[in-house]
Amino acid sequence: MHDDPTPTPARAARLRTCVRALATAALLAGTPPLALADDHGKELPAGPIRDRHELMEGVGADAKAIGAATKAGKPADAVKPAQEIAAALEKFPTLFPEGSQSPLSRARPEVWSNKKKFDELAADARAKALALAEAAKSGGDLKAASGALFKNCKACHDDFRVPEEGE
Amino acid sequence: MSAASGTAPRLTALLVAGVLAACESERDRAAVATPGDPKRGEAVFALAGGCGCHTPEEGPIGAGGVELETPFGTFYSSNITPDREHGIGAWSDAEIARAIRAGELDDGSVEAPVMPYFAYAGMADDDLRDLIAYLRTLPPAARRNRPHEVDLPLPRLAFRAWRLLFAGGADAPERAPADGVARGRYLVDHVGICGDCHTPRDRFGAPEGDMYLAGTRSGPDGELVPNLTSDRETGVGTWDESDLVSLLQLGMKPDFDNVQGSMAELIDGIAGAPGLGKAPEDDLKTIAAYLKTVPPIHHVVAEEKEKAEEAKEE
Repeated sequence: MHDDPTPTPARAARLRTCVRALATAALLAGTPPLALADDHGKELPAGPIRDRHELMEGVGADAKAIGAATKAGKPADAVKPAQEIAAALEKFPTLFPEGSQSPLSRARPEVWSNKKKFDELAADARAKALALAEAAKSGGDLKAASGALFKNCKACHDDFRVPEEGE
Repeated sequence: MSAASGTAPRLTALLVAGVLAACESERDRAAVATPGDPKRGEAVFALAGGCGCHTPEEGPIGAGGVELETPFGTFYSSNITPDREHGIGAWSDAEIARAIRAGELDDGSVEAPVMPYFAYAGMADDDLRDLIAYLRTLPPAARRNRPHEVDLPLPRLAFRAWRLLFAGGADAPERAPADGVARGRYLVDHVGICGDCHTPRDRFGAPEGDMYLAGTRSGPDGELVPNLTSDRETGVGTWDESDLVSLLQLGMKPDFDNVQGSMAELIDGIAGAPGLGKAPEDDLKTIAAYLKTVPPIHHVVAEEKEKAEEAKEE
């Protein structure tokens, strides 16, 4: 599929289209890009919206450390990150006060309309993180404990976070 | 490069296309000469992301009617269940094979290239007949196909011209590669057709060959589609094979985040359909092994800051 059997007239047409596309791109380059919540921690307003974003960034970094510890066969290295995740998840649901909705945030309105479920999922995730810390201490099955925590992350993201959007 | 070309070369091209089409029909009949195995076909279906475009969110599996917005109009996926009136129940195996691999329907018309037949063109005969056997086991859904709303003049001619210009070249083997990177490449290119979303398209909706799997900010439904090449900063070069398998199986990223949107649907399967998560693990491993060999293309799609930091850490 990678060799190019395109006949000449089509090539010419493609060239013309490319020129047009370039012109459009040049025009669009002046437009500021859509602000995305993810990876734009600095652009988020100070307060709970930025705090919860940064808290989750920290959870992600800890989760990566757990993955690395698991792969390296060094379960002891997973204890601290798992405890940190548990602590973060205790704080997390407190960072969604009324009025902290924002177009910059990927939080769905359900966070507020179904706060009970949201809080339950956070509490479950915290319990899974603590279980993971215990497994890491006692030489238990880290992979299984990580999978259980991930399932909780996913359940909450699927219901309460909008997918990342393009342009 | 002169743009002017005489009638003779054009006639020759048409003639060649005609002869090729005739040969290909023969080829499709041969491909399905023996009956397929629906059980194996279910794995092919799963590796194809549960043919997700054909299943509406609320089901039933394969009933079609899913709206696909493109720069060329709004298209509606077709019913691929064995319903005799609205689906493919009355089609022969060779007709189904021809629709999947050549984008050609039995009335001689060519499908809109929204259906990536040009990628399935490389699907091996054995996988194809197993897939067809599996499709015939789906519960028939009596849902009428919705006509496309095409923003193109002479759509039938346009689709035929598109096929002539942009499709072709993929040669389907009789048997799928058995293992290793060769199998991974085959699954990525001709069954999972990852490039259908992960390779950006040009103004004609054709995949840009030199941006193979490099991701795009304007994917289906306006979604971000990540760079899958081995570039360490903007692709998945820092992921190892097990990270890639976890993603394909569970939707799990190395930071325990999960994929959402279309990719999550392809992994989980829609309305109970088997998705990538149900595909044989060994196959997902070959896909991961192959992705590690895809040449890096530096192409920022998203999470650039995070990826850049990740690369620095190592």
